[in-house]
Amino acid sequence: MIRDTWTVAHKEWMEILDQFMRFRRGGWSILLVVFFLGIFVPLQLGPGWANFAVMFFYWPFLTSSMTSTIVSDSVAGERERHTLETLLSTRLSDASILLGKVLAAVLYGYAFALSNLAIGMITVHVRYGDRAESMSAERFFALLALLGASAFFVAGLGVLVSLRAATVRQAQQLFGVILLVATMLPFGLTQVLPTEMRERLAAATSDLGIEGIAWWTSAACAALAVVLLTVAIRRFRRGDVDLG
Amino acid sequence: MTGPAIRVHDLVRDFRNVRALDHVTMDVPPGIVFGFLGPNGAGKTTLIRVLLGLAKPTSGYVEVLGRNPAREGDAVRASTGALLEHHGLYERLSARQNLEFFARIWRMPRHTRDTRIHELLSRFGLWERREEVVGTWSRGMKQRLAVARAVLHRPPLVFLDEPTAGLDPVASASLREELARLASDEGVTVFLTTHNLAEAERLCALVGVVRRGMLTGFGTPDALRMGRHSGAILVTASAGVTDALIEALGMVEGVALATRAGGDLRIEVRNGVTTPDLVRWLAAQGVDIEEVRPERATFEEAFLSLVDPASGTTQ
Ligand SMILES: Nc1ncnc2c1ncn2[C@@H]1O[C@H](COP(=O)(O)OP(=O)(O)OP(=O)(O)O)[C@@H](O)[C@H]1O
Ligand SMILES: [Mg+2]
Repeated sequence: MIRDTWTVAHKEWMEILDQFMRFRRGGWSILLVVFFLGIFVPLQLGPGWANFAVMFFYWPFLTSSMTSTIVSDSVAGERERHTLETLLSTRLSDASILLGKVLAAVLYGYAFALSNLAIGMITVHVRYGDRAESMSAERFFALLALLGASAFFVAGLGVLVSLRAATVRQAQQLFGVILLVATMLPFGLTQVLPTEMRERLAAATSDLGIEGIAWWTSAACAALAVVLLTVAIRRFRRGDVDLG
Repeated sequence: MTGPAIRVHDLVRDFRNVRALDHVTMDVPPGIVFGFLGPNGAGKTTLIRVLLGLAKPTSGYVEVLGRNPAREGDAVRASTGALLEHHGLYERLSARQNLEFFARIWRMPRHTRDTRIHELLSRFGLWERREEVVGTWSRGMKQRLAVARAVLHRPPLVFLDEPTAGLDPVASASLREELARLASDEGVTVFLTTHNLAEAERLCALVGVVRRGMLTGFGTPDALRMGRHSGAILVTASAGVTDALIEALGMVEGVALATRAGGDLRIEVRNGVTTPDLVRWLAAQGVDIEEVRPERATFEEAFLSLVDPASGTTQ
């Protein structure tokens, strides 16, 4: 099972790599993102770049959006490009096919975010030398956890959405709307809370600190991801899957 | 393995308002090339899907290599290879990467994997172009690669849905040779569908003919021709068949065409004229008749009568 999952993930990686090498479909835009997040933003924010709280918003967002494009392409894309049925005619289990795709997408998002973080660190250090702040280990691990868990959550959601979509385009459209709602929902909810509760929530979160919030959010995302993936695997059964 | 490689019993498969398979029953013995023939939409692809556990029977049951694909699909798929309706290749990957992915799926050890991939790509004339991205290939090249992928792991049973579609005559001939060799030398059971009747007749030890989901013919290609005749009559004569006679015969009421055919006199008749009528007429013209027999239907004629009862041949 683990080996099969890895086999599928490996194939997805080969396909992603191919896109990169050819600068097809967003190959160039990815370089643009690297330039913006790895070089431009760190220079704008200055020597304290590594410790800005905003890191905890845009990095998970970036990881998730990378993960989401890959997941919908690899799940809905197999159907659209008519390779799904052949894949299903092999000895691979339903679960290893889905998990392999999830793993590939999560690792991709993760690798992308980490390499951008590293580029950012280097940029800040080259530009500001000793004045550049580094991130505390505590903060770094909290960020890593948040990146991983949010990518998993998004991948789980993406698989579920893409499973029924006939085309990648369809999957990505639906997925975009759902993601928007999912990210807005927590903010929206805090707005409608009574003032008193809102103050208490604010006090609790400031007690937790940004790291604490990151850990709690990670735990929630991870739990949701497990639920979503279980549902996706249940729904993805040979003989029930519409082969288009 | 003893018993049939494939057993289909009273199989029905419905889609919303179409009955794709209608009470099909047949056994396919192991180690042969079996051809499943029928017009577009007859249910061929659907049967392959059911046999691989990719679609569930509405009723009835199937057994593949002694297992029920609806319940033990993983075990069935572990010992089969398939080329389905679409070639299913990853067009963004190279030929080698495609085969390597499937070799990993089948858990072939590294050295066997490399030699096998080399062997197959060479045999199908694709070795030189193995690093090219498959998306840029011609349809026939993709098709050949897809066949290579189906037999990569040496499965005892292969399903090939129209394997020669899009292949040039040389490539189809060599694929047929390859499939025949697989069955005779390696004991592989090959289940294929094709619209090429000459191919089916030459290659398949056994064929099934399906029409609107119903199995209307099953047997060796010879057996399907047997007992059906084309409507023409062959006359062997020791004397008296002259060009003038043939011309006169062509004018006879009820005779559509009279020609020489391999030393015989071949007469195509319309309805209304009987064989005794013709024999009497020929004898009266001084022809020494040795033998008179109905011409056997060609495989194509037999097929047409199985899928379209209104066509010319008679039982
Ligand atoms: N997924 C599906 N949903 C609805 N109807 C289907 C589905 N798959 C097949 N059918 C119907 O079942 C019938 C048999 O289709 P099938 O693809 O098995 O035919 P076929 O013999 O393979 O034809 P061809 O020679 O054109 O490949 C057709 O009427 C088809 O429309
Ligand atoms: Mg078909």
